[in-house]
Order: sequence, then C-alpha cells, then structure tokens
Amino acid sequence: MNSDLKALYRDTLLKHSRDPRNRGEIEDPDHSACLKNPLCGDQITLYIATRGDRIESARFEAQCCSICMASASMLTFRVEGMTLGESDAFAATLAEAFNQANTPLPLLENDELHALEGVKSFPSRIRCATLPWEALREAISNKQ
Amino acid sequence: MSEPHSPPQVPESLKKARDAFPILKRTVNGKPIVYLDNAASTQKPQPVIDAISHYYSHENANIHRGVHLLSTEATAAYEAARGKLARYLNANDESEIVFTRGATESINLVAHSFLEPILQPGDEILISCLEHHANIVPWQLLCERTGAQLKVAPIFDNGDLDVDAYLSLMGPRTKLAGLVHVSNAIGTVNPIEVIIEAAKAKDIPILIDAAQSVQHMTVNLQALDCDFLVFSGHKMFMPTGIGALYGKRSRLDQMRPYQGGGDMIAHVTFDKTTFKKPPSRFEAGTPHIAGGIGLAAAIDYIEAIGRDVIHEYESQLITYAADRLKAAPGVRLIGEPTNRSGAVSFVMESAHAHDIGTILDTEGIAIRSGHHCCEPLMGRFGISATARASIALYNTPEDIDALVAGLAKVNQLFG
Repeated sequence: MNSDLKALYRDTLLKHSRDPRNRGEIEDPDHSACLKNPLCGDQITLYIATRGDRIESARFEAQCCSICMASASMLTFRVEGMTLGESDAFAATLAEAFNQANTPLPLLENDELHALEGVKSFPSRIRCATLPWEALREAISNKQ
Repeated sequence: MSEPHSPPQVPESLKKARDAFPILKRTVNGKPIVYLDNAASTQKPQPVIDAISHYYSHENANIHRGVHLLSTEATAAYEAARGKLARYLNANDESEIVFTRGATESINLVAHSFLEPILQPGDEILISCLEHHANIVPWQLLCERTGAQLKVAPIFDNGDLDVDAYLSLMGPRTKLAGLVHVSNAIGTVNPIEVIIEAAKAKDIPILIDAAQSVQHMTVNLQALDCDFLVFSGHKMFMPTGIGALYGKRSRLDQMRPYQGGGDMIAHVTFDKTTFKKPPSRFEAGTPHIAGGIGLAAAIDYIEAIGRDVIHEYESQLITYAADRLKAAPGVRLIGEPTNRSGAVSFVMESAHAHDIGTILDTEGIAIRSGHHCCEPLMGRFGISATARASIALYNTPEDIDALVAGLAKVNQLFG
C-alpha cells in the first residue's frame, strides 16, 4: 500500500472512525454548533456541557468521512476539563498547524491526535480533520 | 446490447482517442492516470489546445471593434464558432446562440432577462428533484425577489423522474419549466421530448439543462423545439469559461439585457441607451474569444469521430461500469435509472465517499466524491455524499476494471 495512505489511515484513526466515542446528542447543551463543509456535504453538530467555565462533556452527531469522524471523536475527550478559553485557543492553534505544511501539530508525544498527522500530506482532506475543531470554536461563541 | 459484465469493444475510431489527450499520458502517484471525473470536467484534446495556442500566437485581438487585420480575423473566428455550434445543435439560426461562461450563467441570464420581468407573486417555476444547484438556486433567488414559488417534481427510488407528477405540476401559474436532460449525479436520462411536448401544449416556456448530454448524444434543437437549452463547454473537451445559452429567437427578442457594457449597445447617450439585437444584446464586454475558438475545435474533434459512434460506445461502457460496480462486494449503486448516460454513483458499506476518493487517488484513479452540487437529490436518497465515476470517449473497459480493483483495496483497508 502507498506509504502516504498508510500514514493517513493509521490504526488509531481507523479505530476512532469505526467506533467513535461520545457520539450522540447532549440535551440542553450549554453550547452547540452545526457546521457543514459545503464542498462535500459533510456535516457535524457539536454539543458542549459546561460546569462554570470548564467543559464537562462534549458529544457530537455527524454524517462524515472517517477522518472527520475520528477527529471529532478524539476532540470530545481531548477538550474535557479544559476551560472554554483554553479549548478555543487549542482549536485555533491546531487548525492553523494543519494548514501550515512545516508546522508540526502542537501536541505532546503521547497525544492520540498525532493519528491525524498524515492528513497534512492530503491537502484536499485537511478540512475533514479541522471541521470538528471549527465547530468547537463556533459552539463556544454560541451561548445557548 | 452487451451481456452483463462483458466489456464493450472499443470502436476503431476511438482506439487512439486517448493519444489525442496529452494530460492522459501523465502519471498520478506513480500510476497511469485513470480519469473518471468527466462529469465534473473533461480533458482537452491536442487540437483544442493547438487552436487556443494558434489564436494567441497569430490572431489575438479584440473582436467586433477594430478595422485592423487581427481584429477582423479574431472576429471571424469567434463568429464562425457560433455558427458551428448552431449547426452542431441544429438550431434554426446562429443568432439563437448566446455565448456565456457556462450553464450556470446561462440559467441566471434566463432568470434575469426572461423570467423576472414577467413573474408575479404566486406564479410558479417548476423543476425536478434531479437538478444541479445551478438549476435550483437561480430560481430560488428569483422567487425571493418576486414572491413566486418553486415547485419540485419528485423522482422514483430508482432515480427515474416521476413524469406524471412533473406533468401534473405544470399548472396555469407555471411560468417556466426547467429540467435536466441527464443527471450529473446519478446518470438518469430524462424523457425531455415528452416533457417539452407537454410544456408546449400548455404554452409553458421550458429550459433544458444539457450540461451532461451534449457531449454524449446528439441534441437536435429543431426536433426538440424547447425554448431554452444550456451547457458548459469544459464538460465537452472545450476550455473552461465558455458555454452557451440557446434561446428561441422569438423568446430572445422579447428579453431585456443581462449585463450592460460595451458590445451590447446600438446607441448610447447619457439620456438613453438602445440595445443590439440578440445574441449581442446579452454579450456585454469582451468575451472569451479563445474559449469560442477552442469550442469550435472541440466540435470538429467530436464530429470527426462521430456522435453516433461516441453515443453507442459510451452507452455500452457506462452499462458495463454499472454492472461491474453493482456486482462488486460492499458496493451499493445510488440510482438505477431506466436510461443511463455518462455517470454511475455508488456508496460503500465500509467507507465514506471521501475515503473512497482518496484511496482511489493513490491508485491514480480520479473520481468525484461528495454531493455533486445536488444536495436535495442526496437528501432524497437519505445520504450526504456518493462516489461517482463518469466517463468520456477516451475511457476504456480497462479503466472500469481498474476502478473495481481499486474498490477492493478500499474494502481491504476499511472492511
């Protein structure tokens, strides 16, 4: 198999896309947003429940490809416990790093999100990875 | 008819077709390119590339303006292209051909110049569920401006138009009927002859979106006798940015200008401007001259092969593609229309359309994945995206075999 393809569809990514975590709705979320990629029709709705300023839980519903699904799944547990401000800043830095060929993703060594690194070799798929993070930022700015 | 799964014979006049398209000699990800995204845009044959290069090298000048030789030659070449297209489509007269940027602009032109001035609140515009966004959104915008209503005829589960429903929606308030000839997303060929006849009987102007048919079959305007027909050149071996609106001369004559500017006026004063007759009235500004010249070269290229040969072969090839895909493990066709042309859409149990597209790309195979600018149609099938293979005259049964082999790799990775 093509080595870029192998790097794209890493086991962790495939695991998350086949069996995504935190898929579903949060009733009465404190924040939510629905984003669509008009190029392809992928759609994700992200729900956030907060306690004070901290994200208590995040869940999502999506009709999307494996990369978007895995990215959303990883997002939901990655932002748990962060403040809204921290998660917003993290989402912004992450999305920017995806779009800069020479900027590594801003992650610690053992972060599962490294599984998305291969997306950078496939420019047409970067938005698939960033869509959930854009939805997060949109949700944070949408107080229910 | 070919047997299911038996690959069609490539006719003699198409055996070397691939050689005429220089881009098809390149590799993609180290593999020979298998280009199956022709419904999005076709590749360009050498004669078209040469014609454009020759124009810029020898004839380039603005048209309809200069008395100098270059301008005279450029004008002659551009207007000859109009005549050639009129003959290709068998229009009554070349003044019925308005050059535009493509199907989208052609439809917007009809919305602005023909329909808007006669539309009243409560009037209706009829389209079908199979339409491309280009044949939906201009009408929606027009409805918002005028208080008219958009009516949408349904389709059957196999992707065929519900013709009776379409006909029954043609009512006393229908001021325009729009219909796609061939669905870009799922390949359905609509029975436009029946629909046009019914529209004429009820005196309803009808617009045919022929963006996916003019390159695959003979479109005979005098036989069809529709009011408007639109297409984009880049989907039939021509450059991007050139296409046409065919309008019956009696319709064009009653239409207001589209854009204002040079070349569309008869006389200008600060008090009042008068306009040229069609088609010039709708062609403000310097047009895509090289595009028109490329368009003429593409028509010559197609006619040298023969439209009947192309149609016969492509019909067999797309049937072969649909049969092979239907039999492929984990593949489900979206739309199994009674008459198919050009395209076949599918989804897979194991993978989303985008993942299919990426994996095929690494095999050098170009398909389209997404909603194909037909979101309402995708919604009708309860999905957000399909993978679509679409053919042109240079595709071969081996291309289809490569696609099916590529899908086995998708299953291997995601299954």
